[in-house]
Amino acid sequence: MLDLDVLQAVTFVVIVLIALAWYLSYSAARLDRLHAKVEGAMSALDAQLVRRAEAALELANSGALDPGSALLIADAATASLERTTEHPLTEDLLDGQHFGGREGVESDLTAALRAALPDDVVAGLRARDDELVTDSLDRVAASGLRVRLARNFHNDAVREVRRVRAKRSVLFFRLAGYAALPEPVDFDDELPLALAA
Amino acid sequence: MRIGMVCPYAWDVPGGVQFHVRDLAEHFLARGHEVSVLAPADEEEGLPAYFTSSGRPVAVRYNGSVARLTFGPVTSARVTRWLEAGHFEVLHLHEPMNPSAALMALWASTDEPVVATFHSSVVKSRALQAAQPLLRPSLEKIRGRIAVSQEARANMRRYLRAESFIIPNGVRVDRFRDARPREEWCGTAEAPTLAFLGRCDEPRKGLGVALRAMRAVLDEHPTARLLVAGPGDASVLLRDADPRVVRSTEVLGVVTEEDKASLLASVDTYLAPHLGGESFGIVLVEAMAAGAAVVASDLPAFTDVLDGGRTGVLFETGSADALGHAVLGLLADPERRGTLRALGQDRARVFDWGVVADRVLAVYETVIAGAHGEPDQPTPTGLWGRLVRGVPGGGN
Repeated sequence: MLDLDVLQAVTFVVIVLIALAWYLSYSAARLDRLHAKVEGAMSALDAQLVRRAEAALELANSGALDPGSALLIADAATASLERTTEHPLTEDLLDGQHFGGREGVESDLTAALRAALPDDVVAGLRARDDELVTDSLDRVAASGLRVRLARNFHNDAVREVRRVRAKRSVLFFRLAGYAALPEPVDFDDELPLALAA
Repeated sequence: MRIGMVCPYAWDVPGGVQFHVRDLAEHFLARGHEVSVLAPADEEEGLPAYFTSSGRPVAVRYNGSVARLTFGPVTSARVTRWLEAGHFEVLHLHEPMNPSAALMALWASTDEPVVATFHSSVVKSRALQAAQPLLRPSLEKIRGRIAVSQEARANMRRYLRAESFIIPNGVRVDRFRDARPREEWCGTAEAPTLAFLGRCDEPRKGLGVALRAMRAVLDEHPTARLLVAGPGDASVLLRDADPRVVRSTEVLGVVTEEDKASLLASVDTYLAPHLGGESFGIVLVEAMAAGAAVVASDLPAFTDVLDGGRTGVLFETGSADALGHAVLGLLADPERRGTLRALGQDRARVFDWGVVADRVLAVYETVIAGAHGEPDQPTPTGLWGRLVRGVPGGGN
């Protein structure tokens, strides 16, 4: 009688342990997947920011803008490009879970584009029918939209990671390991209506 | 691009979501993309080549209204087969929170980056709350969320605690812009014409408000006419209305798309006296595209479409006095009507399928870039690996 009780208890404990092990491994894998999603979204954002800065620089150098506007855009675009080459996200120790403090530079580029390219100026530039100018305007607009999309999707992925990481089981068993807690990326990316793709 | 789209509602029944999916799919097809649409359908005959049926829809009551949806093992098998055969580069689900084909595709999807569009039905639901632990891992497969309006976005924030990007519904603007005015519907200075569109016997469409407002209009323009187009029986409302108003009202019944466009292009003013429950206001965009001066209730969705009242006149929702006043103001000012027509046609272009579909394509590209930018995940091996790394329903 006693023997049977011990056997039952052992079986029960083993089953509970297996279930717990499954749950923890499953949660860890899920967290891993969510971290990977954040990293992917961050790299999409990074790529579009580079394209936006390159297109803006090309527009500034096209000669179609007045020298003041051109210099303003060129300055902001170069600052953005410098930051990306100095700190490529692929070499980021934090595995693409952080934006590396680039928010200010990107906000500045948005502000410069908005200041130098109000709707009537854009209409005037498009009316020139210069292929290079139209093309770089289109590319600024297209990458500007994609920056907004990528940032929105990235921040949503961050929210999901943070929600799972706030769970008690995840905190207690340290399921996140040494992965950095991803932060939402917040900068001004609102381009004027005429530059809306 | 190979695009797989899933619509949760029966394809052969007219409805906003179905039209949205159809127009978007056909637009992408015309641009040379490969598109396959999966949705419930009663009859498989006569459906377009890009369409696959997820099974016969069943009318069920879910979240307070009756919808025609598909679920069960047959649908599940069809969804899985469709996904496997499609090799889609992106999977675009519409209303994935309904218990139908889109939710099952989300559940069964494996490697495809997933985009989800939320139209309106994200409302507080007990089912959603209760099934959170079950659905959450599947919802985490969504890489990009689209809301069709501010309202849909606010609901998603509240009930799903998720962010989304707003891309409005599309309209085939060219169809309405090229509409020809019909002489019998055109107004004159003495006898102006007003139009109402929508179900006559559905109170929230606001025909009652329009009929009450007509009294004030007829005081100043005794020969003004109100043209009413749309399904439903107007006789109940007309029986209770002022006899003068009844004489000035012409009920056209159900009109074709072409006639609808002509009607909007002919009248002096289009009235949208809706009382609520509108998540978007596509008819307002159609009216602007056709060149009608718009007077609309100040519902949030309508205010958005009219750019805060810049491209049309807003009045206090449900107030017949305010509507009458707004209409009289417009009828007395042909110059303002002309300005509104021009501004409206300009505004409508924002909602053209060409513009809207480009944005949707940008979403596809962004989520695909995100999926490619991910570090490689270990492929699950063995039973334990599959148990641990799998998301319920399948996939990794």
